[in-house]
Amino acid sequence: MRIVRDTFILCILLTAISFAGKFKLPVFDKVILDNGLTVYLMEQHEVPLIYLSALIPCGAIQDGAKNGLAFLTSESLLYGTENYSKKQIEETFEFYGANISTSAYSEFIKLNASFAKQDQEKLLPILQDIILNPTFPDDEVQKRKQRLLVELDQAKESPRQVIRSYFNKFLFADNEFGNPVLGLKNTVSDISSGDLEHFYQSFFKPANSAIALVGDFNSSEMKKIITELFQSWKTEEDEISSSILIPTLDFNKSRVLLVNKNDAKETTFLIGGKGVSRDNPDFTEIQVINTILGDRFTSWLNEELRINSGLTYGARSAFMPFKNLGTFFISTFTGTQNTERAIDLALQVLNRLHTTGITDKVLKSAKNYIKGQFPPDYETAGALADLLTSMKFYGFDERYINNFEDTVDKLTVTKANEIVKKYFPKDNLQFAIIGKASEIRNIVKKYGDVTEKEILEDGF
Amino acid sequence: MKYLLTFFLLLASLPAQNKTENVKTFSLKNGMQIIVLEDHSIPNVAMYLFYKVGSRNEYPGITGISHFFEHMMFNGAKKYGPKQFDVTMEANGGANNAYTSNDVTVYSNWFPRSALELIFDLEADRIAHLNFDDKMIESERGVILSERSTSLENSNEAFLIQEVLAAAFNAHPYNWPVIGWESDIKNWTKQDLQNYFKTYYAPNNCVVVITGDVSLDEVKKLSKKYFEPIPKGNTPRKVHTVEPEQLGEKRLLVKKEVSTPHVIAVYHTPEASSPDYYALSLLSSILSSGNTSRLYSRLVDENQLATEVWTDYGQYFDPFVFMIYSICNENVTTEQIEEAIYDEINKIATEGISENELQKVKNQKLMEFYHTMETINGKANQIGTYQLFFGDYKKLYDAPADYQRVTIDDIKNVAKKYFQKSNRTVGILKAEGEVK
Repeated sequence: MRIVRDTFILCILLTAISFAGKFKLPVFDKVILDNGLTVYLMEQHEVPLIYLSALIPCGAIQDGAKNGLAFLTSESLLYGTENYSKKQIEETFEFYGANISTSAYSEFIKLNASFAKQDQEKLLPILQDIILNPTFPDDEVQKRKQRLLVELDQAKESPRQVIRSYFNKFLFADNEFGNPVLGLKNTVSDISSGDLEHFYQSFFKPANSAIALVGDFNSSEMKKIITELFQSWKTEEDEISSSILIPTLDFNKSRVLLVNKNDAKETTFLIGGKGVSRDNPDFTEIQVINTILGDRFTSWLNEELRINSGLTYGARSAFMPFKNLGTFFISTFTGTQNTERAIDLALQVLNRLHTTGITDKVLKSAKNYIKGQFPPDYETAGALADLLTSMKFYGFDERYINNFEDTVDKLTVTKANEIVKKYFPKDNLQFAIIGKASEIRNIVKKYGDVTEKEILEDGF
Repeated sequence: MKYLLTFFLLLASLPAQNKTENVKTFSLKNGMQIIVLEDHSIPNVAMYLFYKVGSRNEYPGITGISHFFEHMMFNGAKKYGPKQFDVTMEANGGANNAYTSNDVTVYSNWFPRSALELIFDLEADRIAHLNFDDKMIESERGVILSERSTSLENSNEAFLIQEVLAAAFNAHPYNWPVIGWESDIKNWTKQDLQNYFKTYYAPNNCVVVITGDVSLDEVKKLSKKYFEPIPKGNTPRKVHTVEPEQLGEKRLLVKKEVSTPHVIAVYHTPEASSPDYYALSLLSSILSSGNTSRLYSRLVDENQLATEVWTDYGQYFDPFVFMIYSICNENVTTEQIEEAIYDEINKIATEGISENELQKVKNQKLMEFYHTMETINGKANQIGTYQLFFGDYKKLYDAPADYQRVTIDDIKNVAKKYFQKSNRTVGILKAEGEVK
């Protein structure tokens, strides 16, 4: 491949669908059941498939002291329910060629499934039981936990797999947003199936959850089926109110986290700081500017670090939005001997964004690019189902999609440069660097106060 | 026969753009083949250009040059100079990428329909008039060295597979990695690139696939205007090397800092156009697709011997290998993993598989087909892949039925025929301390 594209892409969907000029989100139904569950239904008939996406608003920030709890809970949803054993769930889904997966993030857990429309009667009741009645059997949980402990070590063999966990922990310190989703060996060892049960009972509530179905069905029939299946999801008053503080991420000095990996031949690094929340009113405009800085092949970062200098295979920048806050980072990697040149160059590019700023020509190009690449993001029923549940969680609606092109078109050079000043970090940058410390220690200290860690140590 | 029935019902319900008769094809006077599928579900287009050249066409000294060439195709031609291919495409809403395999080099463009003519112009310019700028060659050499290094830095799998293929193939060019050996990357010359361009980047060595919001007529018109004037080239030399039969197990040990050992076993297996292709492909699913698959359930789930297991039987022009890869769980030896893998394969070779198991993987293949058909990108890539590897894009649409025809005996027979110890190469990757 020419460029590493998927490693750094945003974890949420940014854009949507237009036709004959403007890309519009296809028509969909939104229903709120008596227990508060939000249900989205959208018909898509291109292939005889149905996608289901469920979002439950609890994640690693609710882990408490047991990092990895939300992740293990999400994995263990599939290990058995009141009416179906793990084996029955797996055999049934796999026999029909259906997919089912769960994933955990800082702020939510997602369950995604896809199946042929003719198999819906067999699979939907199982999906209901997975969400409503999981049993967390101890033997299965223990097996997964044992493998996770080994996987946590294995992950550190690949700097790219772990650098974001180091960066987040460095930025957020003890705040819950620094919790590594997969946990630490030390905390995962302490998790029991009882903990998963308790986590589930505490946070799996219909009121703020969402289920989206997109695919080859009739909406009014599907509405009846889904209502029937999910109206029995019990609704209790929240006994736990959220006490998670939203960190400001305002740093008063530059800091460097240097993670030593003795056998590293490359230096892998992130440079960043404060970003924006998903509900930021300038979210679309920020994406346009970030396209120029680091989110396409001819972005300034990729042009300088790859095309002009051959220092790396790829350099990018990204905003990682949460519901009420966000982070920003530049990311790349280079041979150990080129560490200083690459970091300096990345900083020069970021500085150029603030000093030289955006010109009319590059803005026009970025606008065309982001509009042109927008429709394929929402081409599949799976992507649309994911979008619908994200809308519920982040609190945006179809106007984000339907106004996308207009919003992009209206962005002026003046406004673009205001957005640079307002949202793109400039000073007091935070660095997470993984590499051979003995060869780069003296180089990286010029970027800020250095904290050193060994990659083989537990945690981040 | 219940599933066979529903299977045909499912196929019957496919919308028009997913049927084989909606795919149109024509050839230009210079031998370039164009395949078109109109699909107006989004206002975008995917254009893929498949060149029949990959690391299989290289020789020692220039290993990796196909992949390097893939990069050079973006570095300037006559009308659009250095950087201008990407700059122009992105400024008009398009994006691109490319990949090189052992057999092919594939360029992909994704763009709004308004950019259609421009993309033809950009492609025609670089096919007809690629230029080799000395400065761009050197900078791109650095990029490739970084690409190679970051793959090895972040993927132990890539490293072990490279080592095991080098051992499994004595004669055939599948012996070396697609990215090439480091010393070759550092030493190939501008002359090597020019020769390569002349030999392989002729329109008669290229298949173009266009899917999305286009009409056949406009594609025909633009193809004639932009692609047809490019002169035809000589037919590239045939790769005639046949890997001799392997007459005994080969084993190798590689040292690298890993927390638990990795093990790979590869068996020589036939090319995509072989009649055994579909049975071997289903066998791969039976072994490792999903939690109920033979190897996942035994190695990872039930016995906790491994944290991971996967198998791969891909599409190749010449006979390649069937790969089985696993990473040990803590305190498990590679011997234990190997024993369990061979035992499962042996069971299939002697006892066969159940009807239910066979139907399961056939259903999975049908669902994979639908997932491919969901996007214009998936369709373009698969139409081209089938055209090149199976000789006819129609085989893509036949694939669910071709899988449907495979019997339990077919699976048993391929397991017996290819999974012989003497046909196997095994690679073990371990940390220094664990190597005795």
